[in-house]
Amino acid sequence: MLPEFELLMPRTLSEALEMLTQAREGVAPIAGGTNLVVDMRGGRHRPSVLVNVAGLEELRGIRRENGHVVIGATTTVAELLEEPLIAEAAPVLWSAARVFANPLVRNRATVGGNLADASPAADTAPPLLVLDAEVQLTSKEGSRWVPLDEFFLGVRQTLRQPDELLTAIRFPVPPSGAVGGFYKLGLRKADAISVASVAVVVEVGEDGTCRKARIAMGAVAPRPIRAYEAEKLLEGRVLTPELVAEAAHLCAEATSPIDDIRASAAYRKHVVEVLARRLLSEERR
Amino acid sequence: MPERFVGRSVPRVDARAKATGEALFPGDFSMPGMLHAKILFAGRPHARVLHIDTAEAEAVPGVVAILTAKDVPVNEYGLQIPDQPVLCGPGSSKPGADVVRFVGDQVAVVVAETEEAAARARDLIRVEYEDLPVITDPFEALKPDAPQIHEYRQPSEIHPEIRTEGNLICHHQIRKGDVDGAWSQCDVIVEGQYRTPPQEHAYLQPEAGLAYIDEEGRVTVVVGGQWTWEDQHQIAHALDLPPEKVRVVYPAVGGAFGGREDMSVQIVLALAAWKLRRPVKIVWSREESIIGHCKRHPMWFRCKWGATRDGKLVAAEVQVVADGGAYCYTTNKVLGNVTVTCTGPYEIPNVKVDVDGVYTNNPPSGAFRGFGAPQAIFAAEMQMNKLAEALGMDPVELRMRNLLREGSLTAMGTPIPGGVGLVEVTEQCALAAGWRRTEEGWRKPEAGGKRQGAGSEATRKRGIGIAVAFKNVGFSFGYQENCWARVELRGGAEIEEAILYIGTADVGQGSHTVLRQMAADALGVDLERVRLEVADTATSPNSSGSVSASRMTFMAGNAIRGAAAKALERWRAEDRPAIGEHTYLAPKTTPFDPETGYGTPNFAYGYVAQAVEVEVDTETGQVHVLRVVCADDVGKAVNPRLVEGQIEGGVAQAVGWATMENFIVQEGRVLTDRLSTYLIPTALDVPERVESIIVENPDPRGPWGARGMGEMPFIPLAPALVAAVHDATGVWFDELPLTPERVVRKIAG
Ligand SMILES: Cc1cc2nc3c(=O)[nH]c(=O)nc-3n(C[C@H](O)[C@H](O)[C@H](O)COP(=O)(O)OP(=O)(O)OC[C@H]3O[C@@H](n4cnc5c(N)ncnc54)[C@H](O)[C@@H]3O)c2cc1C
Repeated sequence: MLPEFELLMPRTLSEALEMLTQAREGVAPIAGGTNLVVDMRGGRHRPSVLVNVAGLEELRGIRRENGHVVIGATTTVAELLEEPLIAEAAPVLWSAARVFANPLVRNRATVGGNLADASPAADTAPPLLVLDAEVQLTSKEGSRWVPLDEFFLGVRQTLRQPDELLTAIRFPVPPSGAVGGFYKLGLRKADAISVASVAVVVEVGEDGTCRKARIAMGAVAPRPIRAYEAEKLLEGRVLTPELVAEAAHLCAEATSPIDDIRASAAYRKHVVEVLARRLLSEERR
Repeated sequence: MPERFVGRSVPRVDARAKATGEALFPGDFSMPGMLHAKILFAGRPHARVLHIDTAEAEAVPGVVAILTAKDVPVNEYGLQIPDQPVLCGPGSSKPGADVVRFVGDQVAVVVAETEEAAARARDLIRVEYEDLPVITDPFEALKPDAPQIHEYRQPSEIHPEIRTEGNLICHHQIRKGDVDGAWSQCDVIVEGQYRTPPQEHAYLQPEAGLAYIDEEGRVTVVVGGQWTWEDQHQIAHALDLPPEKVRVVYPAVGGAFGGREDMSVQIVLALAAWKLRRPVKIVWSREESIIGHCKRHPMWFRCKWGATRDGKLVAAEVQVVADGGAYCYTTNKVLGNVTVTCTGPYEIPNVKVDVDGVYTNNPPSGAFRGFGAPQAIFAAEMQMNKLAEALGMDPVELRMRNLLREGSLTAMGTPIPGGVGLVEVTEQCALAAGWRRTEEGWRKPEAGGKRQGAGSEATRKRGIGIAVAFKNVGFSFGYQENCWARVELRGGAEIEEAILYIGTADVGQGSHTVLRQMAADALGVDLERVRLEVADTATSPNSSGSVSASRMTFMAGNAIRGAAAKALERWRAEDRPAIGEHTYLAPKTTPFDPETGYGTPNFAYGYVAQAVEVEVDTETGQVHVLRVVCADDVGKAVNPRLVEGQIEGGVAQAVGWATMENFIVQEGRVLTDRLSTYLIPTALDVPERVESIIVENPDPRGPWGARGMGEMPFIPLAPALVAAVHDATGVWFDELPLTPERVVRKIAG
């Protein structure tokens, strides 16, 4: 059963930030509630005050701004799918939204909630990592932009302070030559937590050399992670099958997965290598 | 009898109410002055309850009563034998009732003015346990020095196969011909070991109900179940009441699949309402449902089958051990079915079968669609597909040479009842799936091992496989199958209204729609004139039997015909209303001979063949089911669309069992107690193409020729799927489910 709590309904961002600052211990923002309510029912999370940020105008919308795509924190996963800008500029994120949860949850689940929750298996994280995304954290004192890669600290731990809200996510519009993909391996085709996921974006020059490579992985470490060694190996070189295989191997090396009831650590490592190789090979063609 | 409605896909009687949300399920009922109940489950697999301290819990404002073992008049129940306490704890008259034997055993019922108060109080009950050794491996449980899970065992007069020694629940065996002497006549011998997993029913609606004292002073339980009469009698037994003082009503039921055959909330609800004289409601969470009701039996098979070079089966030897879990439930009957079906739908001269059901501290195993046949047919059809490979023979061809036909002797040494559709379903399934009949015999389509696409796609391989199954319709082994119905005709010159009284449950399969169609044709009236009065022991006091064993269309159809004929006779004699009551008795069956298994366990069977096409990702291990062809001999499709619904639903459920449903129990504790960890197929996981082929080969005793079919489409899917995966990869999988990880490991060797 859902424990008792107080629900605050701010009308503006500044009201919300004020509420976060004022509230005693045990305050939590709530957006779609698709993580939080489940956690509260299960007794894993017991906030006594919830600040509902879902209705805040300032946190909504997807727009192009100064060479960036900016996504309001309460943008739902369903809205990512409907927005042509995402499909065009960031197909890697669009692909992740496609296989996210189920249609009902996608209608409520927000991108901000997905990142703030900081599950190792959060499905928008690997695509946003390969897009070099930053998150905006806002408190009464002001705003700061933090690279997503620094935002995640560990299992459900982030840089966010209790009085801060995640207000927006932004990433540079990738150049036209950038291509990428996302693959999530779950134990069924919908509504399954990732056993492992991989996102890839590469920019390949006219001469066939890889200018920039970004690879990120979900559910294979305490937090969503980048495969730095593999990226470094690829940059400045031609993506031959041998090189791709080597990079994929480095991806697996970068993981530190766990055994759980869904899969063994060994299988997760194996799958990451397969998926990374496939995604990188597809980019070669 | 003219067929005006039988054979037509008329809309379901409940379609509108269910689509609009008007239909009420047990959890939807409320009454003024109603109390709420919560169960304290044991949460540990094996322990003696030394003391229950309810003082603190009782002090919670709003708590009205906390019931424990000492409050249950006759603290025992069970569909086959009463080996389970209603509430586990001290102070009960029944010896051994102070022991909890699995995590879902119930220890106390808290009744309070609100759900919250009941939950709070439940968490404040202090139970002192003395932990007992936990046995979760049935092979360990069978060892002579294993601790005995049930200390006080009673022999059963009605069920001689139930044992009283050690942890053996029951034993069945077959000795036909001379297996040991037959191996020398075999050119090919295939040995295999198989393991099938438990399965959770995962019906849409977790257990729920409302109990109250009705205007006639009966304790009335509104609940989801499969057999009103049996629920009524089990409640009456535990409450030490005459059955007339207990009433059971089923409203809309959110799925059952066998999982509602045994009691869950029925007795404790009735007990609370009877003691407190106030309405009491309970709704289980998904987690409570998953630990609180039985599962499909996990089984271990050891098989040795032999055939001649030209593909004639000579001998089959099968040993089966089934984990029955903490209580008997229907283990003895499930394993009777396993005994009948574990050598497949084939005529084999020499058969030796040994089947043991074993108590452990795992959640109880019980009825689940197919009732043992899916497990047994998995082993049998794996053996057949491996034999075909060993013989270099097409799998359809091998089956054609061995299938039971009219007059064939079963493993029990007696002829299979007439109207055998095995050859027809196999042929029709094979042809639709792409097999060809050539001069040299049947030929498989060329899907096997073919790679799909280029590049990374080269690791996706396709394959096709087939399997055939049979299973009994109706209760078996000497139980006199019976079904009661009553028809009341009202009107003057013509029949204006026909009321059908029958104790059947519609658990979502559409049985009430079909009963109405049959009643209309049996009476020669329009469908609209037939009104149903169903699933209430107050109006249907006699037993119409359980909605299980694929029996309801067959049994109820015959009962309705009998009642309709009598009512029409009274109608012609000018009775108004004209009433006809009839109990249909199916042909007699016999128990197994305890030494040889000889006998006629069943009076009717259903027949089914399935072909499955898969694509296997050999690197990730993912198995995608592309297409299923299912040919099902239903005798007569009373409502073809409902038959298709059963085929599609059965296929989806079996795809889940075969590929993803992974029920994990560790040391008796359930690790997958929610639907985010116990995964069942979503709409995207159900095969895109399920082709239903309805074969109508009349059952000589079925109403309008109908035989039962609800379980059949589940049964052959898993072995057909594994054969398809073998066709794609060259690897046999002897254990389910085919999770990606298991597939990858085995392919990698
Ligand atoms: C059935 C089901 C399926 C799911 N499938 C997937 C899946 O496939 N992939 C996946 O990644 N996830 C999945 N999830 C998890 C969940 O839906 C997502 O993580 C979702 O994006 C969370 O967003 P929300 O808006 O619902 O967050 P909430 O539940 O509202 O919040 C989650 C956490 O973030 C905090 N928070 C929310 N918004 C903000 C903000 N603006 N600033 C600061 N903190 C904030 C909350 O305090 C809370 O701690 C699933 C959940 C369910 C119930």
